[in-house]
Amino acid sequence: MKRKLIAAIGAAGMLVSVAACGSDDGKSTGADGFKGQTLTVWAMDGSTPDGWSKDVKAAFEKKTGAKLKVEIQQWNGIQQKLTTALSEENPPDVFEIGNTQTPAYAQTGGLAELEDLKKSIGADWTETLNEPSVFDGKQYAAPWFAANRVVVYNKRVFKEAGVTGIPETRAELFEAFDKIKAKGKAEPVYMPGQNWYFFDGLTIGTGAELVKKKGDKWVSNLADPKVGEAMDIYKKYASYSTAPKDKDEATPQQGEVFAKGKTGAFIGMGWESGIAIKANPKIEKDIGYFTIPGDTADKPEGVFLGGSNLAVAAGSEKQELAKEFLKIALSDKFEGQLSKELGVIPNKESLQKNLQGQPAGEAAAPAVAGGGTTPLIPEWAAVENPPNPIKTYMTAVLNGKSHAAAAKQVEGEFNKRLAQKQ
Amino acid sequence: MTVQTERPDSRPAEVLKADGGERRAPRRTAAARARTTALAPYLLLFPALAATLLLLGWPLVKNGLLSFQNLNMRQLIQHLTEWNGIDNYAEVLASSEFWRVAVRSVLFTGANVVLIMIFGTLVGLLLARLGSKMRLTLLIGLVLAWAMPPIAGTTVFQWLFAQRFGVVNWVLDKLGFHSMADHNWLGTQFSTFAVVTLLIVWQSIPFVAINLYAATTTIPKELYEAASLDGAGAWTSFTSVTMPFLRPFLLATTFLEVIWVFKAFTQVFAINEGGPDRLTEILPVYAYIEGFGNQHFGMGSAIALLTIVILLALTSYYLRIVLKQEEDEL
Amino acid sequence: MSRSRSTASRLRRIWPNALATVLTLVFVFPVYWMFATAFKPTGDIISEDPVWFPLDFTFEHFQTAVTADNFWTLVRNSVTVTGLAVLFSLVIALLASFALARMRFKGRRGFIIAFMLAQMAPWEVMVIAIYMLVRDADMLNSLVPLTLFYMMMVLPFTLLTLRGFVGAIPKDLEESAMVDGCSRPQAFIKVILPLLAPGLMATSLFGFITAWNEFPMVLILNKQAEAQTLPLWISKFQTVFGDDWGATMAASSLFAIPILLLFLFLQRKAVSGLTAGAVKG
Repeated sequence: MKRKLIAAIGAAGMLVSVAACGSDDGKSTGADGFKGQTLTVWAMDGSTPDGWSKDVKAAFEKKTGAKLKVEIQQWNGIQQKLTTALSEENPPDVFEIGNTQTPAYAQTGGLAELEDLKKSIGADWTETLNEPSVFDGKQYAAPWFAANRVVVYNKRVFKEAGVTGIPETRAELFEAFDKIKAKGKAEPVYMPGQNWYFFDGLTIGTGAELVKKKGDKWVSNLADPKVGEAMDIYKKYASYSTAPKDKDEATPQQGEVFAKGKTGAFIGMGWESGIAIKANPKIEKDIGYFTIPGDTADKPEGVFLGGSNLAVAAGSEKQELAKEFLKIALSDKFEGQLSKELGVIPNKESLQKNLQGQPAGEAAAPAVAGGGTTPLIPEWAAVENPPNPIKTYMTAVLNGKSHAAAAKQVEGEFNKRLAQKQ
Repeated sequence: MTVQTERPDSRPAEVLKADGGERRAPRRTAAARARTTALAPYLLLFPALAATLLLLGWPLVKNGLLSFQNLNMRQLIQHLTEWNGIDNYAEVLASSEFWRVAVRSVLFTGANVVLIMIFGTLVGLLLARLGSKMRLTLLIGLVLAWAMPPIAGTTVFQWLFAQRFGVVNWVLDKLGFHSMADHNWLGTQFSTFAVVTLLIVWQSIPFVAINLYAATTTIPKELYEAASLDGAGAWTSFTSVTMPFLRPFLLATTFLEVIWVFKAFTQVFAINEGGPDRLTEILPVYAYIEGFGNQHFGMGSAIALLTIVILLALTSYYLRIVLKQEEDEL
Repeated sequence: MSRSRSTASRLRRIWPNALATVLTLVFVFPVYWMFATAFKPTGDIISEDPVWFPLDFTFEHFQTAVTADNFWTLVRNSVTVTGLAVLFSLVIALLASFALARMRFKGRRGFIIAFMLAQMAPWEVMVIAIYMLVRDADMLNSLVPLTLFYMMMVLPFTLLTLRGFVGAIPKDLEESAMVDGCSRPQAFIKVILPLLAPGLMATSLFGFITAWNEFPMVLILNKQAEAQTLPLWISKFQTVFGDDWGATMAASSLFAIPILLLFLFLQRKAVSGLTAGAVKG
């Protein structure tokens, strides 16, 4: 077919055609039958540090005799890319997928079922991290790693304002902000109006649900008082900041704002301090991290667990080999190594000790057990596409609208997105 | 043989001298020769036609078929074909959102095209007036603006108009407008549109200006000489030589700009994602969010075809002129 | 009137240059900002007081940009695809535009309208239909479909514009060449082509910029790194781990340079073409 079309067009000789990779792979499987095969793995940019990749590749190739090809994917347009790739004859065999996107993809039939893998290696996967991989009661992906937000703060600013000791409750944190504000030399916290994942964490903390079932349909639950409660906490944070109310934490990068040294703190991922250090190397010695404090000292604030899962394409011809890869990549040894190298939360609580010596990771870990995600329904994927109605809701409240009025304002859009055909 | 002047005024020499009726008289012999090679035009057109049918016609038909299907992630991945009749169209056309966005798109396109054409033409005429060094300088400036990748252009504009660290607010503040120091340019519909318009106009002028300048270089010098012999001043020679000569270019360029501005996606989407409150969404952004972003490809295909219909309506005036002026002849 | 003439004429000489200078600045400033940003250390990119000139010059961002994986493969792919697409569309369009501008035949009007409609094709939203066709023809990850579709994207424009330019060339020029014993194709090559230079410049520049920047189609048609083009490289520096704007701007600057070079090259050709035409005319 391919040759015919090229001939018809008559330009074949002039152009470079890149042969589909892996097309020469044999299809045989079995204990010793992996030789000569190549397993293609799609990992997102930034997920696979060099050392980890090298070691996993070596272990995999040694154990199976097959070759491993890790292809790094860019974030821009990844959804369209993944959807179309899964429809092809040679999809990537294993791929990284966002935890909140897993239900939507599981529902398409594009993901292979992994019940037996869960049984063999997943008995002690952290519950809150594994939840997104389960769809309709079945396992469709394996939790790989996660990350959650912490308070990244400027030790110097805190000290100069007379804050001693790390705030352990939300009230103590706000007290600290008050002191910094009174001092008048720095913005207590940088909190733009649409740091939506922080808000999502707050709703998890107050026990709010963003959607509810109405008949057989999911609809907005933003008018729920518990959502309002979370929004009030957010509003309190935002009141200490002069950041734009209609922008999220990436425009401008809050790390870059923080790098100027005139910001007390921001709520962000541990790696965001890297942005600050890149922009202003001198700030490195002033940076500290602590767990986002909740109502009481023993219960940290609710956090959104941004995570990555590993999934196997249903259309892959190398199911067994793919599972072999997962067993190696997700083994305690390599989970631990990844956690160490990337500073991310591993998929088992017992492995969290690998975060020792990594202040950001150590600050993040205590909140994992009480963390959560966005609603785990296939319909959710559409909600977060810009313009995310929840961000609109947040801006509206911060601009003075009542919770009810703001919830009402975005309800139509929210419900429309939830009602989309699958 | 002068049929190429479907726009009669692209032959200003004759426009000056006489009306179009007499033009054909001295060319009879050439016409006779042309008849002997009656097949020639079809042969010349064949590659263009074949390419269009294969590379555009085919995808369009496919797109048309998709627009009658329920095609989402699941159907695409599993290669399922679920016909759902005119559901996609019915759903789009029934939503008030679509119509609001359509009207907004038309107004937005109109405003932008008018600005682009006026300023583009002026810059083009200026190019023609300049000395060669200055002209090259301005040309390079224009090409630089044109060549700047859209992602970079859009990002830079975002920075320039950023609320907290934007250059524009900084300058306004230094100039004494202190209330503008923390102005949010993207806070309202009008102001967001103003920034987007500035960006699009800035990006589009180079094309119009360069194209127009290229057109003026093809105006034979003798025409101006003839005009000045007839005692025409600068303004008269402009209106009787330059404008008639450029009119077809202007019309054609306007036609193209209408199409391009109407389809402008990157700028509007990247600057503020159609916000605030979806108030600056135009059709392509709408189509993207509904179709591609949410991966409802069947719906996206339907919106794509509706977009073509609206574009047809917008450009029908120009298409009618062309139809009227072109003549089919044997 | 006559007394003010000298002032007026001086003014007439000065204002175009003054205006051109201002305009040049207006058009160049954002471009300058892109280049300047590419040279700024990350800390200066976003700052309370704009850093107008990158005093702490750094090549770090360019380093990041060109050492990205597969950079040179992508350069080669982009050049191949864009170059061939523009070349094919110029040749095909030139043939067709000659027929449409110079000849009389049945169906001419239909052809013109058809190409005008072709100009309206919403390529961005048609991407998925194209993807399915290419996928089912087993032609993914190849530069062939990319080249062909890019050619088609710019063909209607090239054709219609060139037709305008061909039509604007006085018929007499060609005919006098034919009287001098040239055949029609000869007359075309010797007389018309040089006069078309400015038109060819404008159209090929347009075609080049369009094909060079195309993103949505290559994103899903060519998923293999070895078959991708430069727009994917630019977007590489925007990640969830923070957008590396320095590298993005460095990449964008490098990305814009070929277009600028092409323009300067075409510009010289166009000028010589013009003079050649004038001598003949």
